[in-house]
Amino acid sequence: MKVSVIKNVLDANDRLAADNKALFDDKKVYVINLMSSPGAGKTTLVERTIVALQDQYKIGVIEGDIQDTCDADRVARLGIPVVQINTGGACHIDGNMVREALPTFDLAALDLLIVENVGNLVCPAEFKIGENEKVMILSTPEGSDKPAKYPLMFREAAVMIINKMDLMPYVDFNLEKAKKDALTINPKLKIFEVSCKTSGGLTGWIEWLSAQITTYKKS
Amino acid sequence: MHEFSLIRSMLDIVEDYAAKHGFEHVNAIRLSFGRLSCIEPKSLEFGFKIQSEGTKAEGATLEFDIHPVVVYCLDCEKEFHADHWCDACPTCKGENVMLNGGMEELKIVSLDVI
Ligand SMILES: Nc1nc2c(ncn2[C@@H]2O[C@H](COP(=O)(O)OP(=O)(O)OP(=O)(O)O)[C@@H](O)[C@H]2O)c(=O)[nH]1
Ligand SMILES: [Mg+2]
Ligand SMILES: [Zn+2]
Ligand SMILES: [Zn+2]
Repeated sequence: MKVSVIKNVLDANDRLAADNKALFDDKKVYVINLMSSPGAGKTTLVERTIVALQDQYKIGVIEGDIQDTCDADRVARLGIPVVQINTGGACHIDGNMVREALPTFDLAALDLLIVENVGNLVCPAEFKIGENEKVMILSTPEGSDKPAKYPLMFREAAVMIINKMDLMPYVDFNLEKAKKDALTINPKLKIFEVSCKTSGGLTGWIEWLSAQITTYKKS
Repeated sequence: MHEFSLIRSMLDIVEDYAAKHGFEHVNAIRLSFGRLSCIEPKSLEFGFKIQSEGTKAEGATLEFDIHPVVVYCLDCEKEFHADHWCDACPTCKGENVMLNGGMEELKIVSLDVI
């Protein structure tokens, strides 16, 4: 006998993520899901973003490291509430993990929640967590072939931050090709070229994020 | 690596449907996904064999409907299909193209049950 199903395999996760989103909307917390390969600069971007915006907004952070708490410690040093999710070796954060982390925060007092996903370009793009936007980082040493190899990540993201621009003279990164391929996959993608080391180009990102939060709060 | 979570979710869906439709065993699961969605049939089959042990889907075959890569050329105003990533139009060789398909997420289409 044939039973017709026609269901996304990740349907249960999608529903959990929608519940999280409803909770965030109720408390007006703007949530970004930050994704990249290992070492592309997620935690450094989180630190820079906190320093730029912490006088303006109340910020919270969820860190999804596979093992240690280094990244969470870096954020905690800035005086920001941070929860380390133990992914137990999982290669991504899912909706349920985020839900279990939420009781640690006073959501009503937060304006912005940044979730640093596990370093991986495949499955973090598949698992929704209840975010407003997915933001991804591509760093110049990784090479410009990444959009072509991992298109789903570039399709799902609203923003691509090209990081480590300070290393351009030393790496073989075809900036135009990376941008063109990313836009072929996702014509609406917003692209910022930055160096989290020198802070070059970060203003554009900070202004974009700030405008997003303001618009969301008014909605 | 994402196969582990995907298979666990597949098995949960099978249990749900078994409860609803009252079947005892699954012979085959028909799946669909896009060519560019980083899903590897061989890895899925391998993981499924192990993770499905002791469930109603133990030993079930997996069947795959793989959606092609669909690219639209803005100059030719035509769509074409490919079996891998493609950033130029095969007709005019231009690069004024948009990716329109091939990233569809993993779905269960149907179950063959007894
Ligand atoms: N040269 C240069 N180095 C950078 C830049 N941004 C980050 N780094 C360095 O890159 C390394 C990794 O940065 P992290 O911010 O820890 O990267 P991550 O993505 O959080 O790494 P995981 O959490 O382990 O996946 C660190 O040594 C940073 O100092 C940059 O713009 N330029
Ligand atoms: Mg980090
Ligand atoms: Zn994963
Ligand atoms: Zn053409």
